[in-house]
Amino acid sequence: MTTNTPIAAKEERQERLDRGIKVRTEGLYALTSWREMSYLLAPRALLIFGLLFLPLLMDPYWQRVVCVAAVYALLALSFDFLAEYVGLVCLGGAFFIGCGGYISGLLNHHLGWSPFITIPIATIAGAMVSTLILLPCLRLRGVYFAIVSFMFPMLTVNIIVALNVFGGTEGISALATLPNIWFDQYIVIAVLIIALFVMRRLVNEDIGLIFRSIKDNDQAVRASGISITLYKIKAVFIAALMGCFGGAYMSHQYGWVGISLFAMDFSILPIAATVMGGGGTLVGPVLGALLLTPLSEALRGFGQLRVVLYCLILMGFIVYKPEGMMNYLQRKYHQFEHWRKV
Amino acid sequence: MLEVKNLMVFYENAIAVNNISMTVTEGKITGVFGANSAGKSTLMRTISGIILDQKKKQEMKGGERITVLGSITFAGEDIIHMKPSDRARKGIILCPERRRIFAESSVMENLKIGGILATRSQAKKTLDYVFTVFPALKELKKREGGFLSGGEQQMLAIGRALMAQPKLLLLDEPLLGLSPLMEQMLVKAMHGINKQTGITTIIAEQYARPILPIVHYGYVLENGGAVVEGTSRELMKNPDVKSAYFGL
Repeated sequence: MTTNTPIAAKEERQERLDRGIKVRTEGLYALTSWREMSYLLAPRALLIFGLLFLPLLMDPYWQRVVCVAAVYALLALSFDFLAEYVGLVCLGGAFFIGCGGYISGLLNHHLGWSPFITIPIATIAGAMVSTLILLPCLRLRGVYFAIVSFMFPMLTVNIIVALNVFGGTEGISALATLPNIWFDQYIVIAVLIIALFVMRRLVNEDIGLIFRSIKDNDQAVRASGISITLYKIKAVFIAALMGCFGGAYMSHQYGWVGISLFAMDFSILPIAATVMGGGGTLVGPVLGALLLTPLSEALRGFGQLRVVLYCLILMGFIVYKPEGMMNYLQRKYHQFEHWRKV
Repeated sequence: MLEVKNLMVFYENAIAVNNISMTVTEGKITGVFGANSAGKSTLMRTISGIILDQKKKQEMKGGERITVLGSITFAGEDIIHMKPSDRARKGIILCPERRRIFAESSVMENLKIGGILATRSQAKKTLDYVFTVFPALKELKKREGGFLSGGEQQMLAIGRALMAQPKLLLLDEPLLGLSPLMEQMLVKAMHGINKQTGITTIIAEQYARPILPIVHYGYVLENGGAVVEGTSRELMKNPDVKSAYFGL
């Protein structure tokens, strides 16, 4: 009995409960008061207005960074979607960027089409090309798919250099650029916001349900009479759309396409952003990318050492906070904790 | 041998084990019975310490919080905060639910992995013993674990647990998904192991009927709490237990 007393003294546990307002705002009741509505709208509004006001606060140099960060955010979003909702760990971000960029650049260079036509065409055509090329690997899962998708950008670069097509190592320059820097920024931010909210909706629709079950147990999905290849194709296409838009946009933003569009950064940074932001939250990776890209820009003075920094951040988050930023914040926002006697 | 006192386990806000106290006598078989979700497996995981591992994993993921309260005394030592690996060294060996055979290793390799804590001579002796208890395994030495039938896998799992030189053997659902014939055979084997080696055993099982005759003392769990306890004979006579768990 003597052992029991010290234990009895600390017989408390921390209880975690959903806030009342969270439970209420899950249903129609959310519409009954401003308080409830603002609970729902505040985080979303914060994100949207934060993104919209971002360019106004920046000087011209950092405005360029905003553009690049938004492209990375799109890539991170597509990575998170594929990895956390479909179970395809796709390291082919650079491939999507490259496909979109080259298609748009070639159309503009050879046919002289305006960016307003080439970007949409490149987005869709690039996504189709990427999906077609990834098609034979779709039966792979986990690390195998990651390896194969990681190799495609390198493969393409070497083809371009070896055959000296599409401008070879020099790329294609003097492409039409977008009207001005404001347009540059707002078009990509608008696409980012739309893509984010569309994806959030999509993963909770029926099709998202199928995606998630493919990740969980693809045999059971097959047993339900659903072709998992078809749905993986759809998923890769959706993800590639975002990446290819980023590529096409970048080619016109710089007025140049080259093999650096296939740079490894485009494949790696989205992973870092996803780990940092919190996988599976969709908004987390976007924020992660929006934080990491400027950070790497600010550290440009360190040269290659900034890669070391990425790695340190990545390692820090994996070891100490594997759930990521957004999962943590969401929990704090929706739930409260208190100690309770047992 | 093992004293569990006021043990409570929470998965987030849901209570899985509610204030269970139990005593396990050395050298005897203790039964833990209950329907699904009664808390049997959680109890076994808590005694073997695997729950601490789960807890850590959930913490890292930011998932549900697992809280373990109470005390578990094994051979005079409070082990509630002890790591599962240390508990295994102390002789608390869990034979997990659904067997968890190393599917890509052969039967022999599985047994060897189990015997990693044993000395060479102990391992050799136990290996021979496992093959006398389960002669079927002897013919399957080279077969990969994943290609065994359910019953063979269960034999292998028990054999692997024995190889670790248990002082307290925890068998979680040893009869899961087995044919009545295989059940009989395993029950006989478990009884034999206990009698011949004197290893203290706890068997958690929802299908109580074949197990009950061999247990010395049993606990019936319901919704996390122990509702009835008694010797095997007392349990068999108890009308509530009869109707609920034996369908008599």
